[in-house]
Amino acid sequence: MRSLGELHPLSVFCYFAGVMSVCMLSLHPALIILSLLGCLTLLLLHNQVKARTLAASLGLFTVLTLLNPLFYHDGITVLFVINDRPFTLEALLYGAAAAGMILSMVGWFRLLSRALTNDRLLYLLGRLSPRLALMVSMALRFVPAFARQGQRIHQAQQGLGLYRGDNAPDALRGRIREFSILTTWALENGIVTADSMAARGYGTGRRTSYAIFRFTRVDALFMLFSLALTAVTLTAILSSALKFDYYPALTPPADTLLARAGLCAYSVLCLLPALMEGGERIRWRCLQSRI
Amino acid sequence: MALLAIQNLSFAYPLSPQKALENISFSLEKGDFCVLCGATGSGKSTLLRCLKREIAPKGELSGQILYQDQPLSALCERESACRIGFVAQRPQQQIVADKVWHELAFGLENMGLPQAVIRRRVAETACFFGIEDWFDRDVSTLSGGQQQLLCLAAVMVMQPDILLLDEPTAQLDPIAAGNFLSTLQRLNRELALTILLIEHRLEEAIPLANKLLAIDDGRLIANDAVRPAVRALQGHPALSSAMPVAARVAGMWQLPDCPLTVQEGRRMLENQPLRKNMPVFGTESALNTPPALEMRDVFFRYERNSPDVLRGLSLAVRTGEIFCLLGGNGSGKSTALACAAKLLRPYAGTISVFGKKLKNYAGQSLYQNCLALLPQDVQTLFLCSTVAEELQSVHADTANFPMDFTPLLNRHPYDLSGGEQQALALCKALAARPRLLLLDEPTKGLDACARERMTALLQALRAQGLTVLCVTHDVAFAAACADRCALFFRGEVVSCGEPHAFFAGNHYYTTAANRMARGVCDTAICAEEVAALRRPPEAQP
Repeated sequence: MRSLGELHPLSVFCYFAGVMSVCMLSLHPALIILSLLGCLTLLLLHNQVKARTLAASLGLFTVLTLLNPLFYHDGITVLFVINDRPFTLEALLYGAAAAGMILSMVGWFRLLSRALTNDRLLYLLGRLSPRLALMVSMALRFVPAFARQGQRIHQAQQGLGLYRGDNAPDALRGRIREFSILTTWALENGIVTADSMAARGYGTGRRTSYAIFRFTRVDALFMLFSLALTAVTLTAILSSALKFDYYPALTPPADTLLARAGLCAYSVLCLLPALMEGGERIRWRCLQSRI
Repeated sequence: MALLAIQNLSFAYPLSPQKALENISFSLEKGDFCVLCGATGSGKSTLLRCLKREIAPKGELSGQILYQDQPLSALCERESACRIGFVAQRPQQQIVADKVWHELAFGLENMGLPQAVIRRRVAETACFFGIEDWFDRDVSTLSGGQQQLLCLAAVMVMQPDILLLDEPTAQLDPIAAGNFLSTLQRLNRELALTILLIEHRLEEAIPLANKLLAIDDGRLIANDAVRPAVRALQGHPALSSAMPVAARVAGMWQLPDCPLTVQEGRRMLENQPLRKNMPVFGTESALNTPPALEMRDVFFRYERNSPDVLRGLSLAVRTGEIFCLLGGNGSGKSTALACAAKLLRPYAGTISVFGKKLKNYAGQSLYQNCLALLPQDVQTLFLCSTVAEELQSVHADTANFPMDFTPLLNRHPYDLSGGEQQALALCKALAARPRLLLLDEPTKGLDACARERMTALLQALRAQGLTVLCVTHDVAFAAACADRCALFFRGEVVSCGEPHAFFAGNHYYTTAANRMARGVCDTAICAEEVAALRRPPEAQP
């Protein structure tokens, strides 16, 4: 068992696709709480939660929650009336559910960007099209290099004291000149890169796409398991077994077997990485004590 | 059977009446390490590119290039890409991918090899080149030396028979360059790899080689084993000054043998009749002018929590002298220049230029009639599409400049040779009429001839009353042109003095000539001075 960042990009991608699609498709309060719980424990495990971000998230949650009832007035339980408009409990809870969904999505995205770094994303892209992946990889290198060279040219001109004048039009003219030579530089640069690619046989036939990631048994198991759990939950959602109505009155779905299965499956899915990592840490402690 | 045989090769660029290469014939055996030398613009790079089919220049080619007795053009595309490897000058621009491991795999991906094969070859190559420690890194975080090593490894992963290299160390500092050359030597010795290397650091490269080719104006003027070829090139106007110091001293003494390394040179020196009273070279200059640049206890760091780059730097450059600041890579030399030019702000200490503190120069006034900084990459100075426009746009004073730009006026500044670019940058910088010139590595990528011209240029400018502060790795250049030298280490100046006395006090960080004469005459720092240590023939019994 390994942590999410060490699993194969494909399994990681499947996992996040499952968790996040469920989270986006349903406003069932239990599902949203599970999703929040899942990403919060993982973030805590990675020491990614700071007091400031927590406070900011709570603030965002409150604002988003209050926004819905201010503009939406359906619902039968009126709490109070502002400007002749009712402020209802149902709208408030709906707002809370939506805010919870948004917050958990933000959390999952943060985890996703840590687990799927640039090179891992590129690998996934390479499976679709090796050519496209190469282009993106080159662009990733080229854009910062372009900016750096621009900075260098600007500093060189400044240290030279030519094109003098402290006034704005002169400065602007200088910038335009710098940009035009920067494009020449980029083209020159491109010629060398193209030569270096041709010298190593680029374009001589079908390319393969190499990756340093290995798809192991653990990756396969993790992927299958998370796909299965996602499938169960999605079936429950799409067959309306987990349809939670907020308007006009709060109506939880009927307590069917499918609904129970869906909730169970999603709770396992959300807590799966946290359980894996927790288990891993305990095992490591045991191993360490033997050293 | 020769691995590579070139027969009567001639080449002309389109629309050019002159041939770039004329009637060139030579051959390389398996395991040869061959150095190809020649002055700038002599056609070395053209020759090298003609041998690599994928990047061969367009033009009219006659004669034959045989690879294992087959014409080069008969090889299939993939075979040709794999068998002959090519590494060029600027590592940053040759790198294609953004991760080290991906760059290593790039060539093999192009060959369409399966994952398992790529995995094995990449691992093996990374091991051989010692890349494991930075295997996962972004290529932009690597140093220049590491990047060039990566370029070499990315070619070697394809298992070529012949490696062609076009001035691979020109953009590297001496330590990284030495490292790179010794890796080449290892490849040659351990894998019997055939190497054809264009190089201007002949002092280091020639002792590694077993064959030397020299090219002048498109014609081959030397094609022989190293020692006879070096001897034959003595007296050649452009190339003799590039040869190893030991060989040059032997040439001046007209000895029959040809030592190549400091060790061999030292043995030769000890077997010669030497003067009884050794001369002491160098005299402390009597120059006692007020300082043009004075730095006192300067501290600088790039970020609040990063370590200090300058730690109490104190330095005074007198008006009218050429001052060379020597030091290793990353010791903060360039940072010191940027601080002096007000491009960076130190957090403590004072810097004054011509007696006036930097902060008292308002706006752009520091850069007008006062100070100019030439960065390491002088290409960043050029903004126009021809040399003529470049000079006109700043109203440069070409009449008083000690070099003539007339033959270059219609060329693009990017197409000039390294030495010409430096000269153009200098001329452009002088248009703002600075009295203090700050130069960052002015000899980077220059061959011996261009370096001598640069030395003469700086001395001519000094005669016109200019003060020069020059940051450099190049000890031979500093020995030839400086009035005073200083050694920079970990953000401060640790020793400073007149070049002869300065290098006499150093043991490692000194010129090859000085290392050869050490113990015999400590103050001899160039070939001419070492040659003067022998008793004159008339005094010999």
